[in-house]
Amino acid sequence: MEFCFLRILKLTMKVLVMLLLFLGNIKNSTAYFSSSSEATMHTNNWAVLVCTSRFWFNYRHMANTLSLYRTVKRLGIPDERIILMLADDMACNARNKYPAQVFNNENHRLNLYGDNVEVDYRGYEVTVENFLRVLTGRHETAVPRSKRLLSDEGSHILLYMTGHGGDEFLKFQDSEELQSHDLADAVKQMKEKGRFKELLIMVDTCQASTLFSQLQSPGVLAIGSSMKGENSYSHHLDSDVGVSVVDRFTFYTLAFFERLNIYDNASLSSLFNSYNPNLLMSTAYYRRDLYQRHLEEVPVTNFFGSVMETIHTDSAYTSLTNKNFGGAKTKTFLGQSFSSSDINSVRNSDDEDQFNNLTAEEDQHDEAGQCIFCAMDSGHLWSFILGNVITHESVDFFVCYGLVLMLPLLVFSTWLSL
Amino acid sequence: MEEISNFPLNPEPAEEETLQSQMQESTPDRKSMRTTKPGIKRLILSLTVLFSFIIGFPFLWKSIEIYRAPLPFDRIESFSSQLESDPLHFPCRFQAIFVGFDFSASRGLGPNDVAAAITHKMSQLNPNSLRCGNCGGGDYDVSVVIDSGSSCAQTEGSEARCPLKCGEVVFGGKLSDEDFDEMLKRCLGNVDGGGKGYSVVVFNGDKEEGEVRAVVGKYRHAWVLGHVSEDEAVSRTAEIFARVFMNGGNEGNSIRSEFMPVGADGRIVLSFSLLNAEPQDWIYDWSFHEIDKTLLQPVIQALQPIANITVESQVLYYTPKSSFSYWDDIHGSHIFSTKDLPFFLNSNEWHLDTSVAAGGRSKVLQLVVYIPSAKECPLQLELPNGDLSKTNGFISPMWGGVVVWNPESCVKDLESKDPDRRVISPQNLQKLFEVLMGQLRQLLGLKSDNLYVGQSGAYILLGSERGFTEWELDVLSGKHVCFNLHSCATTLGSLSRLVQSLPRMIIIDEIGKQVKFSLEAAKFAQSYASTGIYNASAVSSRQARSLVENAFFHPSIMSISYYSFEHCFAIYSPFFLPVTMHVILAALREWKRYKQENRKYLAWKAKERIVS
Repeated sequence: MEFCFLRILKLTMKVLVMLLLFLGNIKNSTAYFSSSSEATMHTNNWAVLVCTSRFWFNYRHMANTLSLYRTVKRLGIPDERIILMLADDMACNARNKYPAQVFNNENHRLNLYGDNVEVDYRGYEVTVENFLRVLTGRHETAVPRSKRLLSDEGSHILLYMTGHGGDEFLKFQDSEELQSHDLADAVKQMKEKGRFKELLIMVDTCQASTLFSQLQSPGVLAIGSSMKGENSYSHHLDSDVGVSVVDRFTFYTLAFFERLNIYDNASLSSLFNSYNPNLLMSTAYYRRDLYQRHLEEVPVTNFFGSVMETIHTDSAYTSLTNKNFGGAKTKTFLGQSFSSSDINSVRNSDDEDQFNNLTAEEDQHDEAGQCIFCAMDSGHLWSFILGNVITHESVDFFVCYGLVLMLPLLVFSTWLSL
Repeated sequence: MEEISNFPLNPEPAEEETLQSQMQESTPDRKSMRTTKPGIKRLILSLTVLFSFIIGFPFLWKSIEIYRAPLPFDRIESFSSQLESDPLHFPCRFQAIFVGFDFSASRGLGPNDVAAAITHKMSQLNPNSLRCGNCGGGDYDVSVVIDSGSSCAQTEGSEARCPLKCGEVVFGGKLSDEDFDEMLKRCLGNVDGGGKGYSVVVFNGDKEEGEVRAVVGKYRHAWVLGHVSEDEAVSRTAEIFARVFMNGGNEGNSIRSEFMPVGADGRIVLSFSLLNAEPQDWIYDWSFHEIDKTLLQPVIQALQPIANITVESQVLYYTPKSSFSYWDDIHGSHIFSTKDLPFFLNSNEWHLDTSVAAGGRSKVLQLVVYIPSAKECPLQLELPNGDLSKTNGFISPMWGGVVVWNPESCVKDLESKDPDRRVISPQNLQKLFEVLMGQLRQLLGLKSDNLYVGQSGAYILLGSERGFTEWELDVLSGKHVCFNLHSCATTLGSLSRLVQSLPRMIIIDEIGKQVKFSLEAAKFAQSYASTGIYNASAVSSRQARSLVENAFFHPSIMSISYYSFEHCFAIYSPFFLPVTMHVILAALREWKRYKQENRKYLAWKAKERIVS
């Protein structure tokens, strides 16, 4: 809502500027053109996973992010290609009954905070600025490679964000906001510099769909947990931990991926169709007008896994003969005789089924974990009150015209007081 | 507000009476006339305030101005449009030498006709010759020498000596390809004069010579030995020129960015990893230092113009692959097929990217040697056609390559409790590195094998101990110069659009300097290219690209840190808008009042004049 006000202010200022003929030309040309990336092939996968909340009562947001982190790792994205941004104040929180453990289900089968969790941006490092730096690649020189998104023209990037949001913004740790045009601007710059081939933005927050409204770069696919005016709800409360442990949208996303392994060919459309508005208690929204490919043909592992493009090496470069280094002239490289070993067991697939217990207790939802904090934003109440009088869209215009009307009033009152 | 004027406003009524009676004739109406001049003190005061505001405005404007280093937008524009309209071309000279041919006798063709035929054939074979980085931009500089034994003819301006004197051993002696190559270099070296001339020598042999042997040497010349007809000689020559020397023997002729694995700062880190999948079975080590010294350094030297290469190595334990293999009785080994290759890399267990030397924007190429465990030894890669792979390796563009290396004996020493420590023998290591070198060549967009099969037959491509032959390096340099300059131009364009779209953004001097130097380096690269100095051109273009990347990714450019003009207006207008309004109104009012009072005074003056 603050942003709403800001926009109105901006609009008003524009009107003022025109009225006073204060300045002639404000150049605001944001006309980027996208470089063609048709020729490039998909060579690598990256994931940027962001939890924008902190504090104990936002436990579920960290659990959301860590669950997704485990999923993409299981499906093959290596740690060095995952940027994990996490407040990371849950595992060792004094109120955590299970120290150094984080669960996303009340059955406590899977400790998300097990071994090999590489958090790249931790605690107060999770800021809007750092987030935008990661996306655009503008780091100080001292920032190590592990904290950088080193993607290229052939990269598919998954950007997952969860936290508390509202109309066209997403709060970062209760102190800052990422606005939809900031995100769109960063994505535009990424496209401009060829930092991705395709980008999937997945957002689990209240009014998530509003965050995508400013996007305009081709190759971007966006999915949000809720439409404008809707809240995203948590799935269930863990009475041992004392707070809700997972959000509904993420829960059902994980339930979908639980059935998949690295070889699966499930398409993005099957993921999108798996969201049931009745179970989510919100409407999952996806924006696909910027995305060229048909969702039926795109496997989810294109974003959530890491499938490499490989080319067989036909032959060795045999002319690399150096007389100083061994005089081997044998032509066969790997044609040695092998003792036929009796071991011919095929490695069994023992994929960890991490989320096998997620789907339990589906119908058990509780009111306590509802996204009450979304409604706590001060302006929300106002828009609710105004919404009864006027429709939602005309509020902005109403306020704008009100502010413009105040200008002649100011002049008039000054004149009167003469 | 109260109406005040210099004129005494409310004199006493009685006094007024007397005054009126006194000045009955002279001042009839106090409302339309006055006898004294209106004071200008208040007008001056209010105007002074207004003017000080107006004068102060530029100072305020200056004080809230932000520093923006001037960027040469017009030069950026002209640079990219020039690159677009006039692609970069390298001057190349081609020289065809026919020994033992008599074109004039059999066909009635002079050397100029033969040269025209070759040129025509070349443009057929290379239709998009206007592409950036190509030779000559469409018209090729071909010279021809025809030595029929009895007579010798050459095109005008040809630099070759005629007849060709190159020892008498050409046919009689059985020279190896390497020696032949060296001999041709000696003979033609002085002909080339150090420039970038490419030559093809066709020796016509007898019918009983057997099959035709066509070899491309490791310098800048090729030769064809054997019985060939005149037509075939011409078409073979043209094919070597157009396909091999100009395109590197590659069928795909577009600049694929995935085959330009050079970091934005012009560096490549070659990271060699030896993976022991199961160290409880055996632990292999390698003498990497020796390889680095003897095998890798020449390669790094050869690639110096294209990229600044550093090498590092590591040995890792407990690194199982993540794809499956199965036992195959026919081959007597464990088999993994090509369709499993995308899953071969176990990104959770292979901690390859441990480089500390690699900077933020360098490119790390992983070259991995995988040693399978005893359970899956020997491990072989099966190709789609059912054959086993000769190299047992594969690459992933922009990432690197993997080679599976099987130990000689797959029998595990069951008795010993200690880990079985072994070292890869130098012979094996060298073979391993031949595969890795093939992979590095593939990663850079060249062919890993040394055979080119064209329309008119097969050509043996002689390999160099430096990993890359001179003509291959020319092709690579050309491609990289083009890629770098294009990338530089697009980044400059992006930067200038970005800077113009954020008018309130501070642009520090460093960015301005980097842009300036980058444009200069790009100019140098272009001028070097036009004179045919490949190496210097590649180095300059690399510099241009890395400078502009630094400018674009400068941490001070962040749209979130800067306010738009609307924000600036919103900040200052609450301070100044109410005050300015009053000042302007007061000045207007004073002006109006003064004019009014002055009119009265003038009216009185006029009346006085009439009266007197």
